[in-house]
Formats: sequence, C-alpha cells, structure tokens
Amino acid sequence: MLYPVLFGILLIVLWQTKILHAILHTDTFTLPLLGRINGVIADNFSTIMANTGVTVQVALLGLLIGSIAGYLIAVLVVIFPTLGKGALAVTSVFTAIPIVALAPVMNNWTKDTSNVVSVRSAVSKIIVVALVCMANMSINAYRGLTEVKPFSEDLMKALAASRWKMFIKLRIPNSVPYIFTALKVGVPSSIITTIVSEYFAEYLMGIGRQIKENILMAQYAAAWAYIVTACVVGISLYAVLMIIHAIVMKKRAPRS
Amino acid sequence: MKKIVQKKWFSILFWVVVLAVIWEIAASFVAATKRGPENILPHLYQIIGAAFSTQKVNQTMTASQLVLSSTATTVFRAALGFAIGVVTGFILAFLMKLSGAVEKIAFPYLMLIQMIPILGMAPIILSITGSINVSRIMIAAILTFYPVATNTLEGFKSVEKEKYELMASYAAKKRSLYTKVLIPQCMPYFFTGMKISAPMAITAAILVDTLQGDGGLGCVLSQSLRHAMSIYVFWLIVFFSAFLGIISWKLMGWLEILCTPQKRPSLRKKRPGSSEETLKRKEIKVCTREKSRFGKRFHRAEVSGQ
Repeated sequence: MLYPVLFGILLIVLWQTKILHAILHTDTFTLPLLGRINGVIADNFSTIMANTGVTVQVALLGLLIGSIAGYLIAVLVVIFPTLGKGALAVTSVFTAIPIVALAPVMNNWTKDTSNVVSVRSAVSKIIVVALVCMANMSINAYRGLTEVKPFSEDLMKALAASRWKMFIKLRIPNSVPYIFTALKVGVPSSIITTIVSEYFAEYLMGIGRQIKENILMAQYAAAWAYIVTACVVGISLYAVLMIIHAIVMKKRAPRS
Repeated sequence: MKKIVQKKWFSILFWVVVLAVIWEIAASFVAATKRGPENILPHLYQIIGAAFSTQKVNQTMTASQLVLSSTATTVFRAALGFAIGVVTGFILAFLMKLSGAVEKIAFPYLMLIQMIPILGMAPIILSITGSINVSRIMIAAILTFYPVATNTLEGFKSVEKEKYELMASYAAKKRSLYTKVLIPQCMPYFFTGMKISAPMAITAAILVDTLQGDGGLGCVLSQSLRHAMSIYVFWLIVFFSAFLGIISWKLMGWLEILCTPQKRPSLRKKRPGSSEETLKRKEIKVCTREKSRFGKRFHRAEVSGQ
C-alpha cells in the first residue's frame, strides 16, 4: 500500500510545484493547480451535480438495458446454436464500431421519440451505451452459459435432467462470474461512451457536454473540474460494482 | 443443404441479410413519411450509389476519394499511436512482472487510468500539447496502452507453478525462463489486448479529428453533418469507420496467427509440433537425458563404492 501512496504524493507535489507543467511545456491556465480545480468544484457544486446526474442516469440505464439485451442474446444463442453463432459474431462487430459514428446516427433516428429535447437526447445516448455494452455482455454471458464443468453436465445428463432444468440449475448459476467480468469492462466503458456521445447530443447538459462547452469558452479550470468529477463517478461506480461482486461471491462460496 | 446451414458463415450471412432487410423496410417507411429522408435513414442502395458516383462533393474529389484519402490520414495517425501504446504496454507489463515494487506502484494506477475518460479529455490534451497530431497519437497510445498492459500481465501470471519448477530444476537462467516460457505463454493474452485496443485507437483518432479541421475522417464527418457537403459522405463515413474498426480487429487476429504459427488451425494436424507439445517433448527428452546422466553417476558412485 505504501508505494502507490508515495507515488501519488510525488505526482501531487510535482503538480503543485509546477514541475509537471515544465515537463509538459504548459502553463497553469490549461493545467490548473489542484487547489484551483477544487475551488471551482466547490463554487459550482450544484451545477456540477445536476450535470453528473444526467450523465450517470444515461450511463446506468444504458448499461442495464444493454446488459439485459446482451444476456438474452446469449441465452437465445445457447438455445438455437445453429443460427446463433452468426448472431454472436454480428453482435461482437458492434464493439468495433466507433462511438463517434454511432452517436450522430442515433441522434437522427430518435428525433421523433419525444418533443422534449432532454428526453429525446437521453434516448439516443442510452441506445448508444446499450449497443456498446450489449456486445460485451453477450460474449461473456455466452461463455458463462457454455463453459460449464464437464462432470456437472454429465451428472445432469445422468440424472435425466431436462434441458430446461439444466439451464436453470447449471448454466445460469455458472454464468454469474462471467456477468461480473462483463460488467467490470462495461461500467467504465458506459461512462466513457456517455461522455463521448454527449459531445454530439442536442441537449446541453451532461459531463461530456460541459467539458466541451467550457473548453470552447477557454474555461480550462471548469473543464478540469468536470473531468475530475467524471473520474470520481467512474471510480465510485466501479467500487460499488466490486462491493456487489464481493457480496454475491460470498453467498455463492461453498459452505463448509 | 443441411451442411451449408450449419456453417458459421451461413448464419453470419443470414443475420447480415436480416439486418439489411430491417434497414430497408425502415428506410422505405422513413422515405414515405419524412421530409429529407437522406438525413435520417437513406436506402442502402443510395449509400452504395454515392460511393460509386463520379459527382464531386468538394472542389477536387468525389465522395469515395474524399473518404479514402481522409481515411489514410486518420489510420496512419491511429496506427502510430497504437504502436506506441502496444510497445509501452508490453514493456510496463514486463517490468511489473520483473519487479514486485514496480507492480505495486503501477497496478493501482493502471486501474485508475481505466476510469479516466481519456476520450473526454481529448480537447484538454489538445490544448496542453498544442498540436493536434501529437495529441491524437497520445490519446490513441494511452487508450491502447491499458488493455495491452493488463492483458499481458495476466498472461505472465497465468504461467503454472510447474513450469517454473521445471525451469528451476534445469537451473535455467532468468533470461531463458523469460524467452522460453513466460513470453510465449503470454502471447495469446497480449494479442487479446491488442484486439480490444485496435478499434479503440481508431475511435480515438476519429474523435480527435472532429476537434479541429485539418483533414481526417472525423473532420469530414462533422463538416458533412453541418451540411457543408453531401450528407451521403456522412453515411459513407459511418459505414466505413465501422468497417475500419472491424478490419483492425480482424487484422490483429491475423497478426496473431502469423506470429504464433503453432496456433494455425490448418497446420495443427499436419505438424503435431504445437508449442505446448514441442515444449513437452523437449521436456521429456531433457528429462530422460538428465535421468540417464544421473543414472550413470549413480552407477559410477556405486562402482567406486565397491
């Protein structure tokens, strides 16, 4: 624990003493001192919170919808393997599509969903996030549903378990750790995807939008404040995921 | 017939056709109900037509020429950043494996880097570096670096205890431990990292393009969105960037096959010398040699004892 803390302190010292600025050939205007960033966060706390709320809502809803859809795809692929293999390959292609290309398309497609800009914009962002999370979840869930221990599969067969029973009792419990693997990638990527799609969105709220707007107005300290907020949000969501993971895994641990 | 249905490419084709049909139905619907359907959902044939049309979209180039030339600039920058990211990622993973202190220092920060919205920071990195090219390469490198480093480290850690014990029993030098066991074993993990990060590097390069106008896919994309040129250029870029992402991902797969010939499925049957097997066979050979030597010595000892 000692080494990382020391490294962090070193970094902060370099930052505050402006040595970091000298290394990066920049000034305190584009890379403000930490105290100044904190000051901006404290001054605009309510605005920042409102923007964070918009972003977190979109990211979590997108993550939820995408993960459920991805899991359902994986289940369908296991039930209908012949056509399913191709579906999985096609879904995995979605991960390779740049968000930058997806976001404007979705903006166009969701123009009619609502007359309110905030709702319309949120729908388009949620779809983008969901698409990105879906592919990741479906691949991991498919592995979880199929990579069962051979002897458990044999046991189920020997007990003449129906396919349905096998699904409920063996495949779905087996896929739980894989769901967490997918979520570990999904949580950070959902936030990043939300931020990037906010660059293209109509609605002017959200962390990503604020970063862009503040930079356009050359308010670098405010932009940094939003970046710090984004990091904090990402880390806290990840921490929450880890806690849930620990609780679930503890319950699943073999009883002695 | 049944054989064809069971092939993987058939089901891929099936789903691609299904998606295309859905797209076309939606496009006809949009065309019937909306004004300016080409902004929302043009027909696929219109997009393909735009790709082959000879009409010039700006002073000098047709739509596909423009897209291809800006792709070249974008891909070149993305590739440079990607290469830097891969090399630094591998070196960091290697150093972390080599020394526990480096791992202790770097690992928590490696997790933290993942949380920082680097793509969101693109405008700030641009203002720090001052040059759009440098910032593009830097962002692509940072995005590439993380998956490569973590995956490679995972690969180093996946080496079984028995292999270490075996190498120790040969009194193998640290150097040969790395070249013979650790690096070959981490290769699949290393390539997994590269497969994850290649499309990300391209996304990063396109995104940074949108920030400033000096060519590149993203720049043309935002121009066409603002109706500075035909909207079909936008659709072409959407499809083409998706295609680029997929190709970059596939390319890493091919590179993996090229670099690790023992994984080539066609050769697996002809040449039983897959790395695992050759390693095992060598192990057996060495073991027998060692045994016989020991045997002799033992024998000699017995003899001298008499």
